[in-house]
Amino acid sequence: MRKKTMWRLLATLFAITLAASACGGSDSSSDDSTASDAGTAEETEVTLAASGGSLLETIIDRGTLNCGVSGSAVAFSELQADGSMAGFDADYCRVVAAAILGDANKVNFVSLTAAERFTAVQTGDVDLLMRNTTWTQSRDSSVGMDFGPTTYYDGQQLMGRASDGFSGSSQVSDVGGSVICTSAGTTTEKNIADAASEAGVSIELQTFEDFDTVTNNFISGACDIITTDGSGLVGRKAKQQPDGENWVIFPATPISKEPLGPTYGQNDSAFADAVNWAVYATIIADEKGVNSSNVDDMLANGDTETIRLLGGEGELQTEMGLSSDAFYQVIKQVGNYDEIYSRSLNPVGLSREGSANAAWTDGGLVYAPPAR
Amino acid sequence: MPELNPIVVEAGIGETGPPQQGVNLSVRQWLRTNLFSNWFNAILTLLGVFAALLMLRGVLNFTFSENREWDAVRTNLRALMTLSYPESQYVRVWVAVGFVMALAGMSAGIWANWGGVSVKRMSTWLMGSGGLFALCVLLREPSVILDSEGKVLRTVEGSLQRESVWAAMTDRLGWWIAAVVLITLGAAIWAWCSEPDRRNNSVAVTTVVFSGLGLLVLSLWLVPYGHYAFADGTYIAVPGRTVAFSTKMPWTVMWLLLFGLYFVGRSFRDTRWQGIVRGSSNFLWLISPMALFWVVLRDPALDYAHVLSTDLPMGLAFGVLGGVLLWALTRSDLGEAGRLTAVGLLGFAVFNWVAAFFGLYPMLQKARISFLLVALAALLAPNFIGEVAKRRQLILGWLSAMALVHYMATMMNTPSTVDIQSSEFLGGLGLTLFVAVIVVLLSFPLGVLLALGRTSKFPIFRMLSTSYIEIIRGVPLISVLIFFSVMVPLFLPDGMELAELAAVLTGYTLFSAAYLAENVRGGLQSVTKGQYEAADALGLTAAQRTGFIVLPQGLRVSIPQLVGQVISTFKETSLLAIIGLFDFLRVANSVIPAQSEFMGVKREGILLVAMIYFFFNFTISKYSQRLERRVGLGER
Repeated sequence: MRKKTMWRLLATLFAITLAASACGGSDSSSDDSTASDAGTAEETEVTLAASGGSLLETIIDRGTLNCGVSGSAVAFSELQADGSMAGFDADYCRVVAAAILGDANKVNFVSLTAAERFTAVQTGDVDLLMRNTTWTQSRDSSVGMDFGPTTYYDGQQLMGRASDGFSGSSQVSDVGGSVICTSAGTTTEKNIADAASEAGVSIELQTFEDFDTVTNNFISGACDIITTDGSGLVGRKAKQQPDGENWVIFPATPISKEPLGPTYGQNDSAFADAVNWAVYATIIADEKGVNSSNVDDMLANGDTETIRLLGGEGELQTEMGLSSDAFYQVIKQVGNYDEIYSRSLNPVGLSREGSANAAWTDGGLVYAPPAR
Repeated sequence: MPELNPIVVEAGIGETGPPQQGVNLSVRQWLRTNLFSNWFNAILTLLGVFAALLMLRGVLNFTFSENREWDAVRTNLRALMTLSYPESQYVRVWVAVGFVMALAGMSAGIWANWGGVSVKRMSTWLMGSGGLFALCVLLREPSVILDSEGKVLRTVEGSLQRESVWAAMTDRLGWWIAAVVLITLGAAIWAWCSEPDRRNNSVAVTTVVFSGLGLLVLSLWLVPYGHYAFADGTYIAVPGRTVAFSTKMPWTVMWLLLFGLYFVGRSFRDTRWQGIVRGSSNFLWLISPMALFWVVLRDPALDYAHVLSTDLPMGLAFGVLGGVLLWALTRSDLGEAGRLTAVGLLGFAVFNWVAAFFGLYPMLQKARISFLLVALAALLAPNFIGEVAKRRQLILGWLSAMALVHYMATMMNTPSTVDIQSSEFLGGLGLTLFVAVIVVLLSFPLGVLLALGRTSKFPIFRMLSTSYIEIIRGVPLISVLIFFSVMVPLFLPDGMELAELAAVLTGYTLFSAAYLAENVRGGLQSVTKGQYEAADALGLTAAQRTGFIVLPQGLRVSIPQLVGQVISTFKETSLLAIIGLFDFLRVANSVIPAQSEFMGVKREGILLVAMIYFFFNFTISKYSQRLERRVGLGER
């Protein structure tokens, strides 16, 4: 009796095992993530080393671009009240998505802190960074990143009050004895210390957790001067300068160079080309006067380079692994460089005119190689 | 801890409800005995009052200062609540809230005996709030203080230059009227119920709560709070109107659900359905956080071909075959074979998990979980040996557990249709509440098990639990969270991945369980040895002794610490910001100040966040005080 029961039990057990492994064998890789949440369940994690192919194909297969942004950088990538991501960097994520996927909205924005951004690229959590990342020698070499064309030329400057005797033509040598504030743990701290010792003046440097706190201390008078990238200072001045005060930004030539642009993992030419030329396309379009409203017209009646760029003769794009109308979609859906710039940066008081971000024809640095 | 204070305990004996000794004193007597009993006390009282008023004035000046940008908070209210959840599917959020409201109403109806609040007490509340109102109106500085010649003496931060003290006070006429109305109303009610026969009049707590909430909802339709809403993606702000229809309508529905389901619940009370309704509402409370989050809010896009070909057959196979197995295992003539089978199954289940980490034995995660559950059910089976009804209970439990597990696993595994351009589809208060609730729910059973393990007689359980608790408690929460979000994904085998949120939930649950275990252990140790001996003398098994004698008494004693743990879990969710999730505080602290429209505006948002945290935690704390009174804690 007992033996019989035992056998029956074992038979049942065996049957269950069979049933389970039968279901399990077929699609274990695609469905093997019960514990993982929502949006990522489908995502296949691919690192370059593992797949051997280009990220470009992976993104096209996946159908979305994972773009790393800051999420809290005024005018560059800011989360709006309705939860959407807006700003200059966010729009450049859309540019890349429009070029690769044909749809500017196929972007999955991942908000990253400065500390985790490079790890996120290396582990494949994001495909590229549009995150106010300065192009430096060490990042390009030892950190293992590659950098695309600079989309915004920034540089560290200082901001003081006109009532303290500062003006736009002040130099670092004029700030001796001032309390200078900046946010902690960034290179701005080191830059200003170096610049002050070079100029031979002694300053009192104070650091705070974030730049909101720094600005509040400047407003309350605890800091004489604050320093960070010029784009940040202009924005603060435009938005937070109280009535009756005059804040001035100096020196005219920034104390550091901060070229900002797309950043991605190294040694992936196909993906790098796609990103770079998507950015170049916005610059060339600006140069040729092609914008989102007249792009259809220009596709028919523009000059040869314009037509080539917009996909009239599509070989250049298709050879890169993109669809022939890739850059047409970029301009149509997101706009040219000037449109992207004005949309996000003009409202905070940053204008292209006279800055390094003017087109090369206007004396700026924004320049793209020819599309041919 | 009041329950340890002998004086309080003595005072509490023989009394029901709150201590009554203050009631018979007049205001003057009360002041004299409590605040001005000697000169030293008087000085302390005056200093304390002065400091409190000073602080209150600071807060008022800050809040009502003209350069506060409350628009930043108004515009971002939805971002603070759910962050990126898309407008087109927002009805899902309301469905989720509505479900919770309905469940709360139902539970209040079927369970709670809230008792009443005496009318006299309410009149003192009215007078008190009226007084506080008047005090606030009086305290807040006029924007500009002028001397007798009209020269500006001092400006309060960012003000229009128009007010003298007198002008300021007349300016606030509306507030004065409100204060006077409140005080008069309170005094009238006080006078009305001072008559001896009305002294004990009281109103049910539920009436007070529901009508209070009803008044709030009504005010949405009448009071011009300002019309702020998103319509077709653009933001529309019209100050001076009542709130947007898309705000007031859902809240009205929420109130109706709460109120209506309360009566539904009450109508089931003391009927033969009571047991079933109570059981199912408890069950719904348990599963609703996950179901609302993963099913309602995520709206999984089911691939029916896959469901029919894989998910459904697999669930059925586990349900049916597992049921047959359990039926066999509960036969009374089985003997040791049952235990052997169960242990064998457990070994197999554990092997599956270990194998998964070496990528040896590919199998659906669901199957691994199911095998583990089969093994656990098989271990439990001997408790159900006996008559058919008992065995049927086990089988039904098994079938429903399988249905639930497979349903949830399928839903979680299916991609979401909620169209969102962000890595997490929910943020803000929604995320904070979700994480807090899930962590509390999951860490509770784990914590109790750990506490039992640590007080166990078996050295192996004791050592494992102790080392687990001590290791986890020796590490700060922030490093546990970082470990789970950064390190653990690296240890996982190829093809298995853990989303940020899942990683955080796991880490936080494990962390919280260790602390909870120590709180529970404190309670367990307060159960006297006599109770254990009595249980043994009655011939109870170890499981029965723990379940029926030790745990109920131990948990009752640990209520205050457990509630403290819940509150701190809720508050510490703000650490999620550090590993990149957008919790409630982070939205106020770094998302709003980064919007070019509201650059640098963060203090307003943080004040609101603090108030909402306080509301939730104060409610939890108040509820736990009720609970303590109900189970008679501190009165023994």
